Amino acid sequence: MFTIARKEVVETLRDGRFRALAILVLALSAASFAAGWRHYSDVQRQHLEAQEATRTQWLNQPAKNPHSAAHYGMYAFKPKSRLSLVDSGIDPYVGVAAWLEAHRQNEFRYRPAQDRTAIQRFGELTAAEAFLVVLPLFIVLASFTAFAGEREQGTLRQLLSLGVATRDLVAGKALGVAAALGLVIVPATIIGVAALAATTEFGGLRADVPRAAWLAVMYLIYFATIVAISLAVSAWARSPRTALVILLAFWFANSLIVTRAAADLAAWLHPTPSAIEFQTAMERELSNQEEMRVRLDRRREELMRRYNVSSMDAVPINFSGISLQEGEERANEVFDRHYGGLFERYESQNRAFQWAGLAAPMLPVRSLSMALAGTDFAHHREFVTAAEEYRRGIQRVMNDDIARNSKPGAAYTAGAALWAEVPEFRYELPGVSWAMRQAAPSVGLLLAWCVAACWLAARATRRLGVV
Amino acid sequence: MLATLLRHDWRSLSADASIWVVIGVFAAAIGYGTINGARWVAFQQDAISEARAEERERLERHETAIVRINRENATISAFADPRNPDAVGRSLGARYVVLPPTPLAPLAVGQSDLLPSYFKITTDARETVLAATEIENPHRLLTGRFDLAFVLIYLYPLLILALTYNLLSSEKEQGTLVLALSQPISLRTLVAAKVLLRFTVFLAAVVGLALLASLIIGVDLGAPGVLPRLAFWAAAVAGYGLFWFAAAVAVSALGKPSATNAMVLAGVWLALVVLVPSLLSMAATAIYPVPSRVEMIQATRVASDEANAEGSKLLAQYYEDHPELVTGDAQQAMNDFNLVRVAVAAEVERRVRPVLDRYSQQLTAQQQIVARARFLSPAILMQDALNDIAGTGAARHRAFVQQVEQYHERWRAHFVRLIFEKARLEDYSGLPRFAFEDEETGAVSRRVAGSLAGVAVPTVLLAVFAFVRLRRYPLVG
Repeated sequence: MFTIARKEVVETLRDGRFRALAILVLALSAASFAAGWRHYSDVQRQHLEAQEATRTQWLNQPAKNPHSAAHYGMYAFKPKSRLSLVDSGIDPYVGVAAWLEAHRQNEFRYRPAQDRTAIQRFGELTAAEAFLVVLPLFIVLASFTAFAGEREQGTLRQLLSLGVATRDLVAGKALGVAAALGLVIVPATIIGVAALAATTEFGGLRADVPRAAWLAVMYLIYFATIVAISLAVSAWARSPRTALVILLAFWFANSLIVTRAAADLAAWLHPTPSAIEFQTAMERELSNQEEMRVRLDRRREELMRRYNVSSMDAVPINFSGISLQEGEERANEVFDRHYGGLFERYESQNRAFQWAGLAAPMLPVRSLSMALAGTDFAHHREFVTAAEEYRRGIQRVMNDDIARNSKPGAAYTAGAALWAEVPEFRYELPGVSWAMRQAAPSVGLLLAWCVAACWLAARATRRLGVV
Repeated sequence: MLATLLRHDWRSLSADASIWVVIGVFAAAIGYGTINGARWVAFQQDAISEARAEERERLERHETAIVRINRENATISAFADPRNPDAVGRSLGARYVVLPPTPLAPLAVGQSDLLPSYFKITTDARETVLAATEIENPHRLLTGRFDLAFVLIYLYPLLILALTYNLLSSEKEQGTLVLALSQPISLRTLVAAKVLLRFTVFLAAVVGLALLASLIIGVDLGAPGVLPRLAFWAAAVAGYGLFWFAAAVAVSALGKPSATNAMVLAGVWLALVVLVPSLLSMAATAIYPVPSRVEMIQATRVASDEANAEGSKLLAQYYEDHPELVTGDAQQAMNDFNLVRVAVAAEVERRVRPVLDRYSQQLTAQQQIVARARFLSPAILMQDALNDIAGTGAARHRAFVQQVEQYHERWRAHFVRLIFEKARLEDYSGLPRFAFEDEETGAVSRRVAGSLAGVAVPTVLLAVFAFVRLRRYPLVG
């Protein structure tokens, strides 16, 4: 078996095409790691500085009414996950900043993709792209001759007549391809690790190690799947030419066709509203004055009951603070309904998209790659929710202060002490187990593909036709 | 002779299942792609009419309110007063500007899913107005659309290669090549006949199917400019197809076995359609990186904090710069909130301008690199041509944004004057209007012709190479 593997490796290494391809894949991954590293460092630095600056501006506000301060607000800037240098995922297509102000949940604005040229729509050359799209082609080209080639040359008959067990032959071939693959993957991984290690100015790597490790495992399962499929087709096809054409068609459908077709189909199944439709519907609900009046009356009654008085004048707190907060609470319900509904739509689309992974192993591994890199929609939503929670917290602190400390009719200002009561906005990427839970169906699909591919390879090689 | 060859080749081609598989796959992809394009255009048109309806309804509501307020002599807060030019310009009277999809927009989604086709114009800062985006699942933006342009740029060349990679090698491997050439025909004529047949089949399939699909989804062929654009579209499809035929024949002419041809051609396809564009994109962003927009946000924030602190001083300055706006008692105006705000906004924009300019300079520099280097890949040229023809490219959108910027200036100037004159609006008939002036067909044609020429040059070179090499084609062994 090892003899076979060694023969495979030697043969592959002697092949000039293989050497050229290996160098190409390596160069591509090195370039993409370098570009990813630089982009990550630049953007992360800009965002951290900006987050600090917005905090300072908040703290340095002059004495003013707390509600003015709430209107002045702060900005939330989306931090980049470190592994985005492996897979930038949806990052270019979601906004980087949201204004956290009173009364309003603002969208995250400024998609980086809008500051780029049209050719980026051909796809970003990330390390993930090099691994998930280019490397499988490399596997296909390195293994399509495995059986079909020997069969055509008649050496397969020789081999089997020597009494080599089919199982050993298959394992040897697989091992040979894997070893050749390792010659590309290992250096690429070293470059990747070096790129990650060069980002320690943004904090320790510890939190990202499990994510990176799982990422590597998922990629390896994917490569194993492609190797198994290639060997199965090579064993089954009558000529190397047929094997190659089938495998190329599979590669193309897997890496390009199914993804796009599925994304459009998912959008077809779960349509999203247009921005104008979304805004109009939300404004309509927000401007419903009648509901607000009813709610304020209820609050007044509650207060009078709690302080056991018969008139609002006798209530020892300022109702304008209560009224502002009630407005926030009501608006929050509207935001939760509308933004929540929209995000659910996206999630339904993404789930439908995930199930299209039944047709192509690329889909589950791509979803997993983005999930582990922290650049998929679930992670984005998590951050948006955290920023919105923070905004609501600011409003609560400001409105409570108005209710407690100001007098109706009198001018009231608060100062630095109140601004400092609002804690700093800190966001930590959720743990790896959270990410894996979100992507659980993809893990299942990827494993299913791997098992099915291995079974196929075993079946196709069990009765190996020699001619 | 050629006719005999064609007839014979067609007989063997059509007897093979592969051509029918290829045409079947192609037809399905074209149908799905066209329907997706049409659905997207319908979505955009719905959004546009929704915007128009919202605007009409809002303006009517406020105009009715003006009549009522005047009649009842009601008091109303300045922010909600539909007669107050400041409130009208800032929100109540806001108007939408629209980039209408062209009749051929279903043929290529292009950049239209990323760059918004309508903006709501207010007196807010330009960057705020232009920051609006259409709602879209970011995941779908990342993946890209399965539209007709995708089918043509990615799938079409692969199907061509699938039918031509073994053009000569299979006949050689089966031993029929020598037989065929024992007849009084040259190898070049044989190759020409084979290419001609396959090219005709493909072109007829694409153009026929796409036209059929366009008619089904209701493209108006009679609309101005549609027929010349369709002619350009057909030329682009033919030109891009010919490039891939030339590439396949050139590789075939080297006389390698079928499997090698398939590998080489798959590599060429990967390089030109996937790697060159993404490497180019990477290089452009690495050489001229556009900083994150957070820098702009922070600069604006700092500038407006400072400007707000200087409020009335800035107004005095503003009056010096715009003496035509001085009406009545300028001293009293110094305390006018609305007037101070106009002056502050102008000052903020003046201070932020250099930061904003840097974004557009970097992006322009990227575009220039890409504009030069796009000739490295026919796929990029094809994308440019298809987007230009469908009116969904970056160039048309840039023209739109430029006109929107001018209109936004006019909108602001209109309201600044009213604010300074302390005018009260009695109706909204005088609000500035926007009409998009579309690019001239001539300008589009010139751009498309440039892209097509870029595809034609390597095609000719490959064809010449193949022509020369075929003389030395090894018929056996």
